[in-house]
Amino acid sequence: MNRLVRAELRRLTSTPLWRWGPAAAVLSGGALTALCVLVGPERFDPPMPGVATEAGTRLVLSLIGMTVLVPALFGALAVTSEYRHRTIAHTFLFEPRRHRVLGAKLAAYTIAGAVYGLITAAAGAGALYGAAAAKGVAVGADPVTVAQVLAGLAAAQAVYAVIGVGLGALIQNQTATLLVLGAYLYMVEHALAIVPGFNLAYPLLPGGATAALTEASLMSEAAVEVTGAAAPLLPPLLGAAVLLAYALLASAAAVLAPMRRDVV
Amino acid sequence: MSLPHRLECRGLAKRFGPVDAVTDLSFDVEPGRVTGFLGPNGSGKTTTLRMLLGLVRPDAGTALIGGRAYRDLAEPARTVGAALEDTGFHPARTGRDHLRVYAAMIGCPDDRVEAVLELTGIADAAHRRTDGYSTGMRRRLNLATALLGDPPVLVLDEPTNGLDPEGIAWLRRLLRGLAAESRTVLVASHVLSEAERLVDDVLVMHHGKLVAAGTLAAITGGDTLEHAFLQRIGALA
Repeated sequence: MNRLVRAELRRLTSTPLWRWGPAAAVLSGGALTALCVLVGPERFDPPMPGVATEAGTRLVLSLIGMTVLVPALFGALAVTSEYRHRTIAHTFLFEPRRHRVLGAKLAAYTIAGAVYGLITAAAGAGALYGAAAAKGVAVGADPVTVAQVLAGLAAAQAVYAVIGVGLGALIQNQTATLLVLGAYLYMVEHALAIVPGFNLAYPLLPGGATAALTEASLMSEAAVEVTGAAAPLLPPLLGAAVLLAYALLASAAAVLAPMRRDVV
Repeated sequence: MSLPHRLECRGLAKRFGPVDAVTDLSFDVEPGRVTGFLGPNGSGKTTTLRMLLGLVRPDAGTALIGGRAYRDLAEPARTVGAALEDTGFHPARTGRDHLRVYAAMIGCPDDRVEAVLELTGIADAAHRRTDGYSTGMRRRLNLATALLGDPPVLVLDEPTNGLDPEGIAWLRRLLRGLAAESRTVLVASHVLSEAERLVDDVLVMHHGKLVAAGTLAAITGGDTLEHAFLQRIGALA
C-alpha cells in the first residue's frame, strides 16, 4: 500500500495544478480572514459581534469553513481526471485490486488535505492577529481557543478532500462532479439552512458539522435573520464525529464504486 | 522476468446492451511466439483484450494468464505489460513523470524509467508534456509503460498505429526479440501486411467470434494473409 500512496502523491505533484493548492490555502485562510477583520463583523448586515469579542473571533474564523470547496475539488480531481484523461486503464492494469488504488488515493488526499488545512490555519492565524493589530483591536478569543478553532478547521479541510475523492469515484465525470460539489456547498446547503423545517437538519449536514467546530455559523446567523430562529449547532466534538462519519461514508463509496465497473 | 506464461481463454462472452461483443470465444496463446489477433474494427478484439486484463468483466467464460486471472496475479504489471490505446496520459504531465508514477506503483527504481525511455526511443522527449506528443510518440510511451515491469507477457492493441516506417521496423525487431526470449506476445491489429511480417500464429475474429486460429503458414496456406483473412471473414466476392 505504501507504494501506491507514494505513487498517488507523485501523481498529485507531477502536474501544475497542485501548485495552486498553497496559494488557494493562503487566500482562503489569510486573505478572507484579514478582509473580515479589517471590515469588521460589526459592519456586516446585519451587524455581528466584533473581533474584540470571542464570538466575533469565532465568527470570522468560521468563514474559513466556507472555503472547503477547494480541498473537495482537489480530492474529486484525483479520481475524475483519471477517467477524463483515460489514465484509469493504466492505473487498474498496474493494480487490478481496485480497492487498493482507491484506498491509496484516500490516504494520499488525507495527507494533502491536512497539509492544505495547516497552511490555511497558519495563514488564518497570521491574518487574524496581523489585521487586528493593524486595525488596533485586540483579538477577543484567547490564543488557545483560536488554535483549537483553526486546528478543527484544518482537520475539516482534510475531511473535505476525502469527501471529494468519494464523490469523484461515485460520479466519475469531472464536470458533473465539480458542478455537484459547487451546487451543494454553495446553494443546496445554504438553502437548507434557512428553509423552515429543513433547517433542523442543517447541524447534521457537512457544513453544519464544520460550523460546529468553530461554534459559529454565518448561515445560522442568516437563518435567524430570515426566519427568526436557527437550529442549534452540535457541540464541537459531536460535529467532528459527524464530519468523520461523512469521511468514512465517502471512503466506503470511493472503494466500492469502481469495483465492478467496466473500463472500456 | 519469471517463467513463460501461456494465455488461455475459454468460453469468453460479453454483451454491451443489445450487442454481443464477444461470443463463446476460446483460444490459447503460446510463449516464445508472436501471436497476431486479427479482425476488422468492431470484431471484439479490444473487448477480448480488456477481459483478459481484468478491465472488463466477462458475462461468461475465463481468461487466464499462466493459469490465473489477471487480478489474481501476484505481480500483475511485472507479469503482463499492456498497451491498449494511444490515449491514457495526463496532458500536463511529462512523459518521464507519467512513467515515474507507474514505476512507483510497482516499486520500480527510477533508473528503469530511464531504461525504457531509451529502449523506446523517446528519451529526448521525456521532459516534455504529453499533450505535445505525436501519435507515434504516444505509442512509444504506451509501450514504455508496458515494459516498465520487464514482463514475460506483452499484450498490445494496434501498436503500429501512428508509427512511421522506421518505427514499425523497430517495433517488429523489438517484438521478435522479446518473443525469442520466450516471452508471450499478443498483438491485435488490422494492418495485415505488417502482421504478416511479424507474427508466428494467427487468431482471426469476426462479429465477436473466432473464425480461424493456427500458425501463419497454416492459415495462409501459401497465399497472402490478406487473402486468407478476407476469405475467413467472408469478404471476398
